[in-house]
Amino acid sequence: MIYWQAFWTGALVIAACSFAVITAIVTVRGYRDLIQMFRRLTAQAGKDRK
Amino acid sequence: MVTFSPIDWIIVVGYLVFSVAIGMIGRKYIGSVSDYLVAGRELGVYVGVATLAATEIGTITFMYNAELGYRYGFAAFVAALISGVVMIIIGRTGFVISRFRALKLMTVPEYFEVRYSRGLRLFTGTLVALGGILNMGVFLKIEGEFLTVISGIDAKYLVTIMTVILLLELVYTVVGGMVSIVITDFVQFVLLSNATLLISIYAVYHAGWHNIVSKVVGTMGEAGFNPIANPKFGLTFIIWQTLLWFSIHTCWQTTAMRMFSTKDPETSKLVMTWTGFIFLGRGMLPMLWGIAALAMLGTGAIRGGVPLPVLHGHVLEPIDAMPAMLGSILGPGIKGVVVAGMLAATMSVNSSYLLGWSSVISQDVIMPARQMLRKAPLSSRKQILVNRVANLFVGLFLMFWGLYYTPPGAVYLYLNVTGTIFLAGAFVCVTGGLYWKRANVRGGYLAMLLGAVGVIVPFFLLHWSESLTGFIAFALAALGLLSGSLSGRSSPRGVAESETT
Repeated sequence: MIYWQAFWTGALVIAACSFAVITAIVTVRGYRDLIQMFRRLTAQAGKDRK
Repeated sequence: MVTFSPIDWIIVVGYLVFSVAIGMIGRKYIGSVSDYLVAGRELGVYVGVATLAATEIGTITFMYNAELGYRYGFAAFVAALISGVVMIIIGRTGFVISRFRALKLMTVPEYFEVRYSRGLRLFTGTLVALGGILNMGVFLKIEGEFLTVISGIDAKYLVTIMTVILLLELVYTVVGGMVSIVITDFVQFVLLSNATLLISIYAVYHAGWHNIVSKVVGTMGEAGFNPIANPKFGLTFIIWQTLLWFSIHTCWQTTAMRMFSTKDPETSKLVMTWTGFIFLGRGMLPMLWGIAALAMLGTGAIRGGVPLPVLHGHVLEPIDAMPAMLGSILGPGIKGVVVAGMLAATMSVNSSYLLGWSSVISQDVIMPARQMLRKAPLSSRKQILVNRVANLFVGLFLMFWGLYYTPPGAVYLYLNVTGTIFLAGAFVCVTGGLYWKRANVRGGYLAMLLGAVGVIVPFFLLHWSESLTGFIAFALAALGLLSGSLSGRSSPRGVAESETT
């Protein structure tokens, strides 16, 4: 039981840390992605109209 | 007793207004059905991770994972571990997803016409829509329970509250489709992730790590840590969950739509890999809240091997333990932020699921049926209109059915079993179609049929366990594809052809 306990504690720490780090990265860089997506959709709509 | 302070109400209502307002921005970017359903296939890696994670993390996810943690302790972590590791493997290898993306599909059943036949697409589309909507049917009630328990609002207002929330989701989903969903998902991801981390810190701080571990040791012993020793899990559960998560991450419509929406196959692989790490926390953190709730409130009579939660003398169900704990430990302001985070999670999941299942109805049931009846194809504008009407239909169905139905047993297992009804056959047909030249239409029909029968008969009629039922469904679906394909001629649409269509 002690091994399982240590294993799940380690897994929980890895899960929580990666969750926090990826959240921070995605928050900053996702915004830039979103702006780029709007630009491309607008450009595509312009092409379609022509 | 209402435990919400004025500041909590201001935060929650402010969030709702903001969410709908930004969702409406998506409307001006909708030009074609591809913009509406897959955001013009313009998703980058980071916003892709945000929208995929937000879609698959809802209040329902927190509730069923916390319930698993409460009932089965740390042993429940095995389900979270499998879901995350399988996602990372799919992301690293590109298994199914990169070929799917290369085919430029909009829905999963669409592949069935590309590789098999229009009839099989229609059959699969019907099963997927039916299974998916019934699966989603339990969301509203469980989410409503969370809100009423944590805020202390009278349960008689549950129907009104959830109806308002569903209508708000419908407004921007119907109008802006996937573009609106991506915008709101991004904001909702930021809010829900921070709420998740905040709750985790609060839960461990108030319950105490030592108390959490001691409670599981005292209540469940070895079975609270070792998933093989826990009678609810075991080896069959692990095999079923591995197969199920491979099928969910590749063939579940809402997940697949994100893969179809990425810029290219390489981006879809990166999105899947990164989200895999998020999935570890998506499962384990709410399970930890459930175990913390067990440590703090688990003082009632023993039922199913665990004590029932008790708060202020009221005995609760295990699924309500986590929100009850949060309601008692979170202070004014923090509670508003957490509930806004949970509402964000609810709205991102529900809006994506509404679009996901309604797109299957429009693209894989109505459109192929029209073609089979030799009716003229619809213009892009009319297809968007059909999608919007289907969206409304799904929303209305959920409002009237979803709020009154109560699933039996642990919600996590119920959702997994109902999902397996179509996932077993769909996953076998997709992998067979992509990687095996002999797979043919007869095998496809048999796989879908036996996969569904393999769940319905053992689970609903014979009352076998969820693990055994799921395992049998996948085995029968594989047997169906193999026997049907080997006994008939090869499909005229081979693997190579379907890759380049």
